[in-house]
Amino acid sequence: MFLQTLFTGLSVGGIYALMAVGYSLIFSILNFSNFAHGSVIMLGAYMGLGLASKFGLKLGFVVAGAMAGGGLLAVLNERLAYRKLRHRNAPSLYLMISAMGCSVFLENMVYVTIGSRFYAFPEFFTRRVVTFLGSSVSVMDLFALAFSLLAIGALGLFLARSRTGIAVRAGVCDMTMCSLMGVDTDRLVALVFLLAGALGGLAGTFMGVRYLVYPTMGWITNKAYIAAVIGGLGSLLGAIVGGVILGVVETFISAYVSSVLRDVFSFTILVALLVCMPNGLFGKSMEERV
Amino acid sequence: MMRRALAVLSCIALLATAAQAAEDVIKVGHTVSLTGGASMWGQSEKNALELLIGKINKDGGVLGKKIVLVSYDNRNDPVESVNVARRLVNDGVVAVIGPAQSGNSIATAPILERAKIPMIVTTATNPYVTIDKDTGKVRPFAFRPCFIDPFQGTVAAQFAYTDLGAKKAAVLYDVGSDYGQWLAKYFEEAFTAKGGEVVAKEAFRSEELDYRAQLGKIKGLSPDVLFLPTTQKEAAMAARQARDLGITATLLGTDNWGSPDLIDLGGSAIDGGYFVNLTDLSDPDIQGFVAEYRAAYGEDPVLPNPVMAGDAIYMLVDAIKRAGSTDGTAIAKALEETRDLPVVSGKITVNPEDHNPLNKPAVIQKVDTKAHAFVFVKKYEPGD
Amino acid sequence: MSYILSITTLACINMIAVLGLAIFTGFTGLFSFGHAAFMGIGAYVSAILTYYYGVPFPLALACGVAASSAASLIIGIPTLRARLRSDYFAIAILGFGEALRVILENLSITNGARGLPGIAPYTTLPVVVLCLGLCVIVARNFLQSRYGAACIAVREDPVAAEMSGIHLFRTRLLSLALSAAYCGLSGGLLAHYLSFIQPVMFTLVQSTQILAAVIAGGLGSISGPLVASFLFIALPEALRVAQMWRLVAYGLILVLIMLFRPQGLLGHQEISRLFKRPAGEDH
Repeated sequence: MFLQTLFTGLSVGGIYALMAVGYSLIFSILNFSNFAHGSVIMLGAYMGLGLASKFGLKLGFVVAGAMAGGGLLAVLNERLAYRKLRHRNAPSLYLMISAMGCSVFLENMVYVTIGSRFYAFPEFFTRRVVTFLGSSVSVMDLFALAFSLLAIGALGLFLARSRTGIAVRAGVCDMTMCSLMGVDTDRLVALVFLLAGALGGLAGTFMGVRYLVYPTMGWITNKAYIAAVIGGLGSLLGAIVGGVILGVVETFISAYVSSVLRDVFSFTILVALLVCMPNGLFGKSMEERV
Repeated sequence: MMRRALAVLSCIALLATAAQAAEDVIKVGHTVSLTGGASMWGQSEKNALELLIGKINKDGGVLGKKIVLVSYDNRNDPVESVNVARRLVNDGVVAVIGPAQSGNSIATAPILERAKIPMIVTTATNPYVTIDKDTGKVRPFAFRPCFIDPFQGTVAAQFAYTDLGAKKAAVLYDVGSDYGQWLAKYFEEAFTAKGGEVVAKEAFRSEELDYRAQLGKIKGLSPDVLFLPTTQKEAAMAARQARDLGITATLLGTDNWGSPDLIDLGGSAIDGGYFVNLTDLSDPDIQGFVAEYRAAYGEDPVLPNPVMAGDAIYMLVDAIKRAGSTDGTAIAKALEETRDLPVVSGKITVNPEDHNPLNKPAVIQKVDTKAHAFVFVKKYEPGD
Repeated sequence: MSYILSITTLACINMIAVLGLAIFTGFTGLFSFGHAAFMGIGAYVSAILTYYYGVPFPLALACGVAASSAASLIIGIPTLRARLRSDYFAIAILGFGEALRVILENLSITNGARGLPGIAPYTTLPVVVLCLGLCVIVARNFLQSRYGAACIAVREDPVAAEMSGIHLFRTRLLSLALSAAYCGLSGGLLAHYLSFIQPVMFTLVQSTQILAAVIAGGLGSISGPLVASFLFIALPEALRVAQMWRLVAYGLILVLIMLFRPQGLLGHQEISRLFKRPAGEDH
């Protein structure tokens, strides 16, 4: 049972990590918590679902389509709801409230237009299970985990090696200086949102395949946010580690302490961590006049 | 002067006719989920009521008056159900049909009781819909045409033990639902009484998606049957995750499973599961109703709600006739004395002790994903 | 008619909570995504007292107010002392609210997630109007007092305020406790009006609705948020708009206000001043 719980925790943590990376990426460059990311994930799932069930596409195309859709949506979101605030140098809190507004808006738009029905993806994998030392892992989870790690790895490589990636990292360090050096910051920010949105689309599709698709599925992204905070907002590695830690800890609490009180633990960890280690495990120290 | 007097007179006349018109109808309230997760049944329930009320009105109505249905959407939310109940009281309805869910019904009951308006819930199966949990007394204004959860839990346990030959059972339920929490308890009691063992009783919170931590625990205890007294979407997710973890136990559910999208949501994982339901599309008693419904709306009714709502409206009409008035207390008293009344699902007799129907049968259905249908397995009569 | 009365009652109950958050967010400058939790505490404490123990309604309300105020200290003391970044603080309080809800869902005295039905409907329109009136008077006096001045100073420039001898932590904590007390009162009234409460009523959605009214009405105004809150309740009801469309509008309003008028509809002004000066004059 211990091993089974560990496997389950890792697979839950993998999904948290994939969602948390999007939060951290945007936080790293704009220094605010983009709560609308949860809605991008949710809409990514709907896009994937549409491609899979309306057009009957294969999993590869579905994932690619959802990533593209999620990316575009995130760029659009930035353009409409944040850009003006950025140009005005508004406090990060205003950006966060705007993000909150976007998330409430998008989620309820889905309610009003598509409805609250639950949907399921077609079964891409026959329910195959790999057994290891008496514990089972589904093939789908393994695939999802591998693909997520691949996507996050590619993102890391892109940020570390490519010319654009270096510009992004420069922007993370100092946006103003970056723009003085002749980098088009609007394009840079758009690129970051595109990447985060694409990861969101990917996360949404996996969540949809793993669970079901419905308007409030973005609710689980609160957990991803906690994961990002644990790892240290703004750090990609932190988001992954934070996600895995949260997933494993939660699963063990559910299995050995109480499954219904689990969220009390998650949120207590969040508050305690914010108070004791506001920069999380891998976060850079960030000062703001308070 | 003359003109003014005329105007006043005509106003009075108009008002009088308006009042007359208001008295010529009997308003029946209907609190139903037309949006939200339960809208599929809610819509069908409303359709059925409109169909049957149309028929009753064509036959001359009740006490010489036509029945008017006042439906409000309670969005399957207890707070909104309370608001709807108040609005219905304001509208001056003589009785209320619905809600369909136990939680909403328990929230609604005190409001209607204070207003002395009888309610007939449709598919709310929790015992505490008609019994006050704190005093243990029957609620004088609450009635229902459906069986109750202790019976449903017993049927499920009996089917698991006798027909499936299960010795070890595990239960996974939603702590946030009256329905799930009590059914889990009744199943456990009945299954243990038969000689079986409930090896695990695990819970999750309403919004949760991932039950694998709980299921992992259940897997280690290798039960023969996994009892899921949940909604169809939770059952679907639990089934998929259980199969992913390699749990091979037979899945067993309750009447909330009986939704056409259970198969779409659960896929191959839910195949071969059994569940208890209030009625079955192939039940000979309801064929006449099903045919009428199909003729009127061009589709099958989403069972069991339309049938139960049909039972409710016939119970109400009969009670108003016997009471000879539309006074709430008189109707409630007449409802209590309902005996062998022919309704949509057969015949109904109300037990005055607890306001539940006597001798309400239950059916067992099997999920067949290949045929994309629920297959009738057997029928249980109380006392079997 | 009774329908209009019930909408007015609900709007007034909501206005009390909005007033509380206006003190905290509008005048002290800290945002919160978790004030619905304080409503929840007020609602549950007062409802449990009248329902199980037959405590008189005013006393039960007072206990609810005291309990939410005390609960605000539990989250306020560590987070405000640690001087979290303002958005981290907003999230910490969100986490507090969610954790509290899970606890409410798991106590047997609250009847868990299924909610507490059959609470006596003591709340009537006169009671609510009286409470609201008292709340407005208390809020005005508070803001005109030394403490209120300290709050505004902290909002405008925490460093300067601290240098001029204002105790940052104490000022913020006082403001939080007062706003929590308002929310507690609002929750207590709500419980005894609806006669049914359940934990899911006091979630992020409710917190967002309160916050949206404060932001839309204007940070640093009392009357602005009150008017906004009334419009938020009354308009959708009058237009018979479904709950979902209402939430769509709330989301849009939050975004639009941040983009085009971050000071809110009234900014730092009060309605009374609009009539004295030419309307539309900026602060």
